[in-house]
Amino acid sequence: MMSAPARSKLESLGLSASCAEVLSHLWDYLDEQITPTSAARLEAHIATCPQCRQYEEYQECFLRAMSNLKQELSAPSSLRERLAARLKGQGCGCWDKVSRQP
Amino acid sequence: MTTASPVMPHSPGLSVEESVLTADAGLQEARSASDVARDAAFERDALPWLDDVYRFALSLTREESDADDVVQETFLRAYRSWHTFIPGTDCRRWLFTICRNVFLRSRERQRPTVDLEDGEQDAVAAGSVYAAARERGYDDIYARLDLAPALRDALDELAEPFRSAVILVDVEDLSYESAAEVMGVPIGTVRSRLFRGRRLLQEKLATVAEDLGFHGAGAP
Repeated sequence: MMSAPARSKLESLGLSASCAEVLSHLWDYLDEQITPTSAARLEAHIATCPQCRQYEEYQECFLRAMSNLKQELSAPSSLRERLAARLKGQGCGCWDKVSRQP
Repeated sequence: MTTASPVMPHSPGLSVEESVLTADAGLQEARSASDVARDAAFERDALPWLDDVYRFALSLTREESDADDVVQETFLRAYRSWHTFIPGTDCRRWLFTICRNVFLRSRERQRPTVDLEDGEQDAVAAGSVYAAARERGYDDIYARLDLAPALRDALDELAEPFRSAVILVDVEDLSYESAAEVMGVPIGTVRSRLFRGRRLLQEKLATVAEDLGFHGAGAP
């Protein structure tokens, strides 16, 4: 339950106090960290509240943009060679597998 | 007085000396077999994550040469400590944990002592960022602009421990639980850092949008 000052703050931002639960738990919901029952309750509210739907879309877009940052960067061959040499020095029998590109 | 000779168990037909040599060879063989098994497991479970660890290290260090050092140290430590890895568990997470610790030690960074806001305050703050974006007409900025360069810059500027939480969960797609293990903190702390980190990123992006003079589709 959100405190009265927090609700008041939300209202001053033009956000309905009835949307407080969505505001509090949207990230938990998008991250699939809440129970199915809680998720269903949020979904029911979002389905009937244009403001919360917009807020959800806004945060989903943000998370998608973050996820897209995962570049398919590969470890440089120079790094692989250095690591292979050091593992070989440790007696690692699979050192030669490091320098091969996957 | 007779001197008792030590009783050396040995195989029939072999002298004591030959038996000792055979036993030594057996031990050597057993150790080698153990080493071979360890190396095979290391190759199978750890080496495939080299690119992922490199990407994670690069996001932490922001410098390729520093990332190289961190990655090398990570895999060397992993190899030396392979006996502590529990087969069947998430090796990528284990390597990320080592990687982050290597990075923190390399920078001699102290454990973060930033005051974290509680969940309610973060929720209100996130709502404030969104309300401001909506008011200024760029609440659809993520959908309309390629923000990847600005996001990367904002992520680079984001302070620890928020950066690690955001990278692990939002970029590397780890669960809260896995991120908590990597960072060595409770799940609730990951959640707080993650929410705060996201909000700080959104504030930075809002500044970028303003600097670009961006106006939303519906804004005048």
